[in-house]
Amino acid sequence: MPNQPDSNNWPRWFDPRSRSLGTFGYILNRVTALGLTLYLMMHLVALGQLARGADAYDGFIALVKNPLFKLGELLVIAAGVIHGLNGIRIALNSFGIGVRRQKSTFITLMLIAVFIIVFFAFKMFSEG
Amino acid sequence: MKTTPPSAIIIGAGFTGCALAYDLAQRGFAVMVVERGELASGTSGRTHGLLHSGARYCVTDAEAAIECIQENIILRRIAKQCIEYNGGYFVALDDADLGYAPAFFQGVQNCGIPVDEISVKRALEAEPALNPKILTAFQVPDAAFDPLRLAMAFAASARQHGAKFNTFFDVVGFLRDGQGKICGVSAINRHSGKPVDFHADITVNATGAWAGKVAEFAGVTVPVRPTPGVMVAYEKRVTTRVINRLCEPDDGDILLPQRRMAVIGTTSFEVEEADYIPVYPDQVKQMHQRAALLVPELENIKMRGAYMSARPLIGGMMSGRSLSRTFKCYDHQTDEGINGLVTVTGGKATTCRAMAEKTADLVCQKLGWQRVCETAQYPLADYHLYYQANEAAA
Amino acid sequence: MTNQPWQVQIKIQRQRAGEKPYVQAFALEVDPDEYVLDAVERIWAFHDRTLTYRHACHHSTCGACGMRVNGREKLTCITTIRSVTQNGGTIRIDPLRNFPVVSDLVVDMGDFFLRMNKSDFNSVAPDNAARLPYEHPKKLETQTEGEPERLVDCIECGLCISACPAANTDKEYVGPAVLAAIHLMYTQNPSQKLINQADDHSGLWRCHSAYECTEVCPSGVDPAWRIMDMRKTVFKDRVKSIIKPRLPEKKDA
Repeated sequence: MPNQPDSNNWPRWFDPRSRSLGTFGYILNRVTALGLTLYLMMHLVALGQLARGADAYDGFIALVKNPLFKLGELLVIAAGVIHGLNGIRIALNSFGIGVRRQKSTFITLMLIAVFIIVFFAFKMFSEG
Repeated sequence: MKTTPPSAIIIGAGFTGCALAYDLAQRGFAVMVVERGELASGTSGRTHGLLHSGARYCVTDAEAAIECIQENIILRRIAKQCIEYNGGYFVALDDADLGYAPAFFQGVQNCGIPVDEISVKRALEAEPALNPKILTAFQVPDAAFDPLRLAMAFAASARQHGAKFNTFFDVVGFLRDGQGKICGVSAINRHSGKPVDFHADITVNATGAWAGKVAEFAGVTVPVRPTPGVMVAYEKRVTTRVINRLCEPDDGDILLPQRRMAVIGTTSFEVEEADYIPVYPDQVKQMHQRAALLVPELENIKMRGAYMSARPLIGGMMSGRSLSRTFKCYDHQTDEGINGLVTVTGGKATTCRAMAEKTADLVCQKLGWQRVCETAQYPLADYHLYYQANEAAA
Repeated sequence: MTNQPWQVQIKIQRQRAGEKPYVQAFALEVDPDEYVLDAVERIWAFHDRTLTYRHACHHSTCGACGMRVNGREKLTCITTIRSVTQNGGTIRIDPLRNFPVVSDLVVDMGDFFLRMNKSDFNSVAPDNAARLPYEHPKKLETQTEGEPERLVDCIECGLCISACPAANTDKEYVGPAVLAAIHLMYTQNPSQKLINQADDHSGLWRCHSAYECTEVCPSGVDPAWRIMDMRKTVFKDRVKSIIKPRLPEKKDA
């Protein structure tokens, strides 16, 4: 039954319907965490290229120079910033700090995150 | 005297039904409660939540007042878990109220209700929200209770003595044996829609305002008139104590605190059908104006809810087995020759335990079962444990 | 409250015990200022007697009438029609999440109430203890004779558990109401038993800070704040137990 607690129900973690701001924070943290985990694995694969000789590594570097990969890198930065800042809020809250201001804290931190992401985007793409 | 425990079906799981289930189960009966909705989903759940000290009735109905104070003391002892006991004030607002004061003071003392006349200054210190123009104040042992939890506490205690509760079972008729004696009920399980029969030595109709309707299934009449009143809840707990207007029982003369709210009531009018009673906006307005005389601050507090509750008022001139002016218990064998059916109705939430005691006495007498009532002696089980049986079944 | 009546459509998730759920629509004339529960009661009284739902007090003190209105957890007895739809609009009503559905809008509160019982939850408390500590900055005094008492805020309606995304994937999680109850009881009467109850992977640590509980609570309990405040207590207790182990046999050794 979709209405009932079920450990297979995890896709509903990402369902934002009839939810409040707190759940958006919750969803964001899960999405970014999964993204970062995926990146970590890709990163390990990339490092693995080192072991396969200089040519393989150079080819790989050329591949990641294309704009699509740059966008991917930007997403990694975005995920890191969002997850990190949101994580600070949750950690503070868990020590009983600022619990009643969690919404405004969330909004403030996410605005900071947007600012940082835009800054990096500008820097990465303007360097060409 | 019978040796195997008799069985009883109780129709209705309001205060009376739950208290009766506890009483009979404690006396050794195999009890089955059949209720068409959730526990306390009729009149009981929607009560004002006032645990009467009896002072409200001490002038007009001394018998009811005495019953109230006795039960007030018992419930405060056995059902402490769902009662906020801070006492109550009766306050006079005008000369007419003051004129009522001597009769009131005499009345409460005659009924054995502890009363304190307190100065206006002290009353206003204790309850700063009160109208500063009050002329006098009396303190009595009123209290507020949580309706559903009171019913659940009785039901939990009943369950601990083996009673079974079938909520969401709609009774559609009575079962009769070869001699025409009522030997149970047929009901519909409203969860599944399936019909089911329950058998018992005796059936008690404890359906309050619906007692007449249920009695019709057996071809007997019970002269009960559903008499609703409106109650209005406000967003703020304006007082600590129950505030009563010092006057004859009237519309909008009681304000009580409950959790973070204040609840005011009530009106009184008769209806034919108690299943759905609309909340009339003009009554709400009238209530609001009357209550704002007691606590002027209410004018500016947001309304949180408004609801109707149908009191079971007994009318007609039936030769019922009168137990008191507040409630009645009918043995349909003596009145109409129908064996196996007893009806209890009327009464107030405050006196539900006494109603159950008297009804259980009658049931025991009918069945020759000699056990005495012990419900006043022990605290009720934690209301949460009403669900204990569900866990055992799971 | 003398309004022009509204025409609304009420869509209710129906379900007979053990059968598949389906949605049934009812067209109703309503007063926009009446409450959703009034409309549900009228559907039962005049349209369909088979509809099952829980209710008792009709003024937010009992907690029986929790449902989802347009997806959101609401105490239907204090939710006005006006606040959830407009004239000619639709209201969707579903049973609470994370509780077993018995039929239609009736859910089984059994496990939840037993968990409340295990947390020693007491519905009546001294007046100053019943309030939220941050609303009442004065230090908690010990209860004196004659101090006012009151029914506490939590009405055990289950809305917080229904709204909680963590409760959604873990049926062992005791849920916000129970943790808030432990916190409330702890503020009145601190005990190691309560700390141990809270300090559990199905207790305090299962909360993942979505704050939905506080968002939907109709009664001002602020379960999220209470959970976080309790974490503080448990954290202090853990630190203390590292510095000074509390097991008596270690003391003896």
